[in-house]
Amino acid sequence: MHLFDFLQSLNFIGLLRVYPRLSAVIDILTMFNNPRKDDTALTGYIFMAPAIVILGIFLLLPIIMAVVLAFYKVQLLGDVSLSFRGLRNLLRMMVDNRVAIALKNTAEYVVIVVPIQTTLALALALILNSQIKAKNFFRVILFLPTVTSSAVLTLIFMWIYNSNGLLNHFLNFIGLPTYNWLGDPNVALNAIMIMNIWSTAPLYMVIFLAALQDIPDSIYEAATIDGASWWDKFFLITLPFLKPVTFFIVVMGIIGTFQLFDQSYIFSGGSGGPNNSTLTVVLLIYQYAFKTLDIGYAAALALMLALVIMIVTLIQRYLFKEESAT
Amino acid sequence: MHKKLLLFVALYLVSLITFTGCSAVKPTAENDIVTIRLSGWTANPNERQQLQEVLNKFTAKHQHIKVKYEAIADQYMDVMKTRLIGGTAADVFYLDAFEAPAFMKYGVLEPLDSYIQPEFNLGDFSSRLLSAFQYQSHTYGLPKDFSTLALFYNQQALSAAGISELPQTWSQLRSYAKKLTIDKNKDGKIDQYGFGISPELARQVFMIKAYGGELVNAKGKATFASKKAVKGLQILVDMYRQDKSTVQPSDVGTTSGIEMFGQGKVAMVIEGAWAIPYFQDTFPQLQYSTTELPKINNKKGTMAFTVAYVMNKQSQHKQAAWELIKYLTGKEGMKSWTKGGFALPTRESVAAELGYDNHPLYAPFIAGADYATIWQAGETLPTILTNFNNQFISALLGEQPLLNALEIAQATANKEIALAE
Repeated sequence: MHLFDFLQSLNFIGLLRVYPRLSAVIDILTMFNNPRKDDTALTGYIFMAPAIVILGIFLLLPIIMAVVLAFYKVQLLGDVSLSFRGLRNLLRMMVDNRVAIALKNTAEYVVIVVPIQTTLALALALILNSQIKAKNFFRVILFLPTVTSSAVLTLIFMWIYNSNGLLNHFLNFIGLPTYNWLGDPNVALNAIMIMNIWSTAPLYMVIFLAALQDIPDSIYEAATIDGASWWDKFFLITLPFLKPVTFFIVVMGIIGTFQLFDQSYIFSGGSGGPNNSTLTVVLLIYQYAFKTLDIGYAAALALMLALVIMIVTLIQRYLFKEESAT
Repeated sequence: MHKKLLLFVALYLVSLITFTGCSAVKPTAENDIVTIRLSGWTANPNERQQLQEVLNKFTAKHQHIKVKYEAIADQYMDVMKTRLIGGTAADVFYLDAFEAPAFMKYGVLEPLDSYIQPEFNLGDFSSRLLSAFQYQSHTYGLPKDFSTLALFYNQQALSAAGISELPQTWSQLRSYAKKLTIDKNKDGKIDQYGFGISPELARQVFMIKAYGGELVNAKGKATFASKKAVKGLQILVDMYRQDKSTVQPSDVGTTSGIEMFGQGKVAMVIEGAWAIPYFQDTFPQLQYSTTELPKINNKKGTMAFTVAYVMNKQSQHKQAAWELIKYLTGKEGMKSWTKGGFALPTRESVAAELGYDNHPLYAPFIAGADYATIWQAGETLPTILTNFNNQFISALLGEQPLLNALEIAQATANKEIALAE
């Protein structure tokens, strides 16, 4: 605090009398040199001030505005105008076909992807946890899909999914039927599911791996002495230990899959797929907000999605709490 | 304590004001060089180069105006709308006729009537194309080029199948397509299909109108779910489902009609003038030619697509922007741009000068301009388009009969239009 002392001394000898504002500034700055209880809290707030301001403007304010705009019709192009709509946006949501289709697609996606993703992640983690050779090499290879950007991944998969592409050749080779992965509405969403499971399972695998390594070996040894088989050990020791981690992964998985956007956007070129088959809720919100510039309705949809995710998470929490209470 | 808190708040406010004041926009110097921005899309690098040449010629003539060209690679309309709202849009930009009604209605474009002088010769423009950019008796844009659709056919494939006459009607096209669908190497997989389609409303409107169907009514509501429209479109569905002589680009592993024609996967395709430079660059060995579309219900029909240069109403340099538009859509500028063959000139004098109506490949496009349906129908068209495309594909894949599909599409589109009011 030598600088402060120096500045204080400047002030004292009246060098800065000519600049009253500057001296006031120095007064304020030097007051932090006095370690008094009242000032500690203030110091803390001052240090946090830049972060609070930035988060407030770019995070909190948009959220509040989105909630407010959900009840308005907003006209942005040309002359900006707002007109209060009350619950009309909500009514519109209920009769809109595309909202129903988007919700159905998203729900189907969540229900299929989350269990498969979690199971695959657990299986891979168990494999990696066991004593196989070249464990570290496999860890790196298996983690690669997660570190690849999802946009790049989608483009690569679009080439693999091409009617004359790798996947169809492979299926032909082993005698299974081939599909038009990109153009057939019945399989387009499944194509995105496969792509997503492949790319997010490794992330959860790493989390499972970390949790598995926390289980003390002594318990397994005690079980072996008592004559437990591998299955017994898995169901009675491993799974119960992994319950909190599984809960975390399932919640993260559900939140992530409900918000699927970038892959379905690239896959369908922004249109929502052949015959609305890859239309997810976030893609629908994007279309309403940026294509038709119906910001009020898009905000209402976003609010609806947030509520749906919150409800699902609360249900999950209730279920898991009940299980661990027994 | 309170005094210190007050001082702190004062200090905070002062620093806030000072720091935001530091970054205030400096007023642009209204002296010699004016820089204006031009936004557009480029389909390929050659087009970009051609445009740059035209812009260089412009800058050579107008020493005090610099033009900065910003290409928008993807989702052009989304980006333009966002920029217009945010106030950062370019001074001059491309506008497709399809999107023009919405922009003209919302008043984001500068009306050009006051800038146009008699020597600009507005009458030289094809009046149908110019009217696409006029709203409430003001002109908001000047069409810079256009293209219609014509039938491209692979000359080798046709002669190999023994076809010497070009199809004059759609039923002839249908029988030719069947003959041209062949399995060349007898491995059970068809290598060449007779006909390729892009199942989008943009390509289909003239077929809806052929038997008297209408796309929209005067109020902008969709009206395409009629038996008359079905009559026009049913032949496509039949060719796809029953004859199996017609495919979409994704069925044969391509992304566009021109790609599948270039690769030889289909023998005939309906495309625009933009295909010709593409084939020159990417498939120079391809032996093909063009002809006017076959008649449907004994009437000729095709689609016309046109793009205009428009001026941003919020532009700070309107006079300079007008100079740019005047040059680019004037005789000289249009001649430099359209001689590259990417699209056709909208000024009748330039078209005559460049001799496109005598060029064997381009003649069908010019002929089509007389009877083409312009791809435009009011500001509700984007909503109608999405719904039509979705349901039409579903009908094409046989999931539902065509009339049902069109009825669902029309009902959904009209509901959306009503709800958005």
